[in-house]
Amino acid sequence: MRLIIRENPAAVGDYIANYICRRINDFGPTAEKPFVLGLPTGSSPIPTYKALIKLVKAGHLSFKHVVTFNMDEYVGLPQDHPESYHTFMFREFFSHIDIPPTQVHILNGNAKDLIAECNSYEAKIKSFGGIELFLGGIGEDGHIAFNEPGSSLASRTRIKTLAYDTILANARFFNNDISAVPHMALTVGVATVLDSREVVVVVTGQRKALALSKAIEEGVNHLASVFYTWTLSALQLHPWALIVVDEDATAELHVKTVKYFKSIERVQDEVEATQRELKAKGGSEPVPQVGSME
Amino acid sequence: MPSSNGLVCFTNCLLPQEDGSLVKKDLWIDERRGLILDAQKTFFERKERPSNIIDLSGNILSPGLIDIQINGAYGFDFSIFDGDEEAYKASLRDVAERIVETGVTSFVPTIITQERSLYRKLLRLLSPFSTPTSATALGWHAEGPFLDMAKRGAHAPSFLLSAPEGIKSFEDLYGAENLADPEDWLMSTSSDIGVRIITAAPEVNGVMNAVGELTKRSVVFSIGHSIATTEIATTAVRNGAKLITHLFNAMPQLHHRDPSIIGLLGASPHLYSSFSPITTKALFGSTVMSPIALTPKDTPAQKASIGSEALEEVVTPPQTPIFKARTSGHSATLKKTQSIAGFSLDDSTEFTRPFYDMIVDGIHSHPNSVRLAYSAHPEGCILITDAMKILDPNLRDGLHDWRDGKRFVKEGDKLYLEGTDTLAGSVVTLDKCVRNFTRFTGCSLAESIKCATFNPAKCLGIENRKGTLRAGADADLVIFDARGVVQSTWVGGKRVWSRV
Repeated sequence: MRLIIRENPAAVGDYIANYICRRINDFGPTAEKPFVLGLPTGSSPIPTYKALIKLVKAGHLSFKHVVTFNMDEYVGLPQDHPESYHTFMFREFFSHIDIPPTQVHILNGNAKDLIAECNSYEAKIKSFGGIELFLGGIGEDGHIAFNEPGSSLASRTRIKTLAYDTILANARFFNNDISAVPHMALTVGVATVLDSREVVVVVTGQRKALALSKAIEEGVNHLASVFYTWTLSALQLHPWALIVVDEDATAELHVKTVKYFKSIERVQDEVEATQRELKAKGGSEPVPQVGSME
Repeated sequence: MPSSNGLVCFTNCLLPQEDGSLVKKDLWIDERRGLILDAQKTFFERKERPSNIIDLSGNILSPGLIDIQINGAYGFDFSIFDGDEEAYKASLRDVAERIVETGVTSFVPTIITQERSLYRKLLRLLSPFSTPTSATALGWHAEGPFLDMAKRGAHAPSFLLSAPEGIKSFEDLYGAENLADPEDWLMSTSSDIGVRIITAAPEVNGVMNAVGELTKRSVVFSIGHSIATTEIATTAVRNGAKLITHLFNAMPQLHHRDPSIIGLLGASPHLYSSFSPITTKALFGSTVMSPIALTPKDTPAQKASIGSEALEEVVTPPQTPIFKARTSGHSATLKKTQSIAGFSLDDSTEFTRPFYDMIVDGIHSHPNSVRLAYSAHPEGCILITDAMKILDPNLRDGLHDWRDGKRFVKEGDKLYLEGTDTLAGSVVTLDKCVRNFTRFTGCSLAESIKCATFNPAKCLGIENRKGTLRAGADADLVIFDARGVVQSTWVGGKRVWSRV
């Protein structure tokens, strides 16, 4: 697992966008072999989306052959509701890039048979050969997508009841009317995320600092107590994970930890540079997992 | 994308919203169906995205402007019909196709008071009309003949009428078929009945009795050329009157004890005034109050036909409180309320203030007055040109032929008869009114645009189709630069005019 620290959320967004851009371009996606990307909603990925849009508009990146799967969606919220994740994704990202609508997948929270919807979602991911890179964010309690307290590390796409904390946190988007907040969601499971070949998580802001420290300075600890589930720590099990954070999010880390990851990044840069040189000379096979420091 | 799917995305542009704000956002339209799209639905449900992307380099993408009062343009006067239907239609078409250069994509041809036999014919000719490259003529606006003699402006006194039989008088004049209820109309024909506006004075005998029925049939009743007291004007609005024609012009000026028609802009939703001012004794004899009593003896008439009826007024009668005496004749139709200290709370129905339109050329109303009205009731403000047939933005300043050997002098938006200082009407274009309005009121360009798009559409009840960027609305669009200058005009999703 690598940890990249940047000054502020905008710099975090730029870093991740450039990273994803390089990954997609190196992958060389085609219509037959598209790049499969997992995507989150929420406030932390917005700078990343903004930076990706810039790259697309500048012609450095195209989503023509990218297939996306979103993490989650509310149950029972109309698709065009201002708070639905369909609306979010369209407003913040899809409307501004060149992705064909047929290649976008978001769980349908209004499906008649919700369980069938979840199962077919997993099947669809499988049909594309799994997810190449899953971009994620976390909640203050370290949850990924709607994998709230008690989520099994082996969980798959399924219906999830929202934790009261999450409902309270989301009430601000629904006129502070708790009863208007959907109480259920469809979400990919922890295992769905861990199954992807690479996971990139964005963590910004001091409110996420505790979750970050629990995730990387302690053991795999997804059910530490009733109210704190550090699902993020499950990433320690993943062979190719990248966490990108801003300075604020490091507030609860040991100084030693921060220094350690900063030094890793410097070494990493050198290794990558050497690899690129080798590749340019046509010497060696590209090494896909350059980034992994497991 | 290799082939076009007929969808267009305008990007890098600012969209004026219905609340008067300006939002940086894309707009998707379907150029084949000529409609504005719900972009998100198109993306997720139709699974399509526009193949054609148009970068507007930061300009404003506005709904097309709507002019609900325009008497003519490019040399054609909507009120003049010489019996040749084809010629009339060709001229109407010519105006509709050329006016898009002023950012107008919808307009309501306005007929000033005519000889009564002309109405049925004219109004039938003015059914909704458009070509693929023209603005839409939405219907008709009949200004008169049920106007108050005292505020007739340039309307020929001999043609003014009262409506002793209420709605029947209206039907006899305009033609019952032209005043049909849209539902009945749809039963008999598939064509759209269109927009219908009647400007009339509610104090004229019988007019008040027709307001409710006209409103029921979706005809917009507009108060104008009137000396209605506050009480009469308020009652007219309660009965359904939705609009005030060229505010400030052809109506009593604001008097604090009886603010009359202008005062409606200040009306509270709850407080119904039955304020009884201490009136002076009537200065005018009652004959002046009754338009029917005014017989042709008082006919300096025909010279009137050249002026702007909004501007050239006969002697303005004294302020309205003196009409208190006269309202007794109307008291039967007026609401009786228990009055406590001159005011009463009337909770039975909320009072909705009417829309009002203004000619914002800096001539017909002083900028201060414009700002005063807008400050009082921004949601009701509608910009109009009230333009005469010589409206043509390409017309240079200087001497131009008029008619009957007369000539006029055009000086910017001012128009004089040669050798006089008599103003000969409005020649301002609506896009210029939009720009003027921001200067006069200090409002934003988007708020000004709203007064020439969403507000008139809402007044006419067509805000789902026109004057809006809502999904499903007609893709009638205007692109303004940051100074409010029209760069191009689009009708039904196609560009029909461009500056370069």
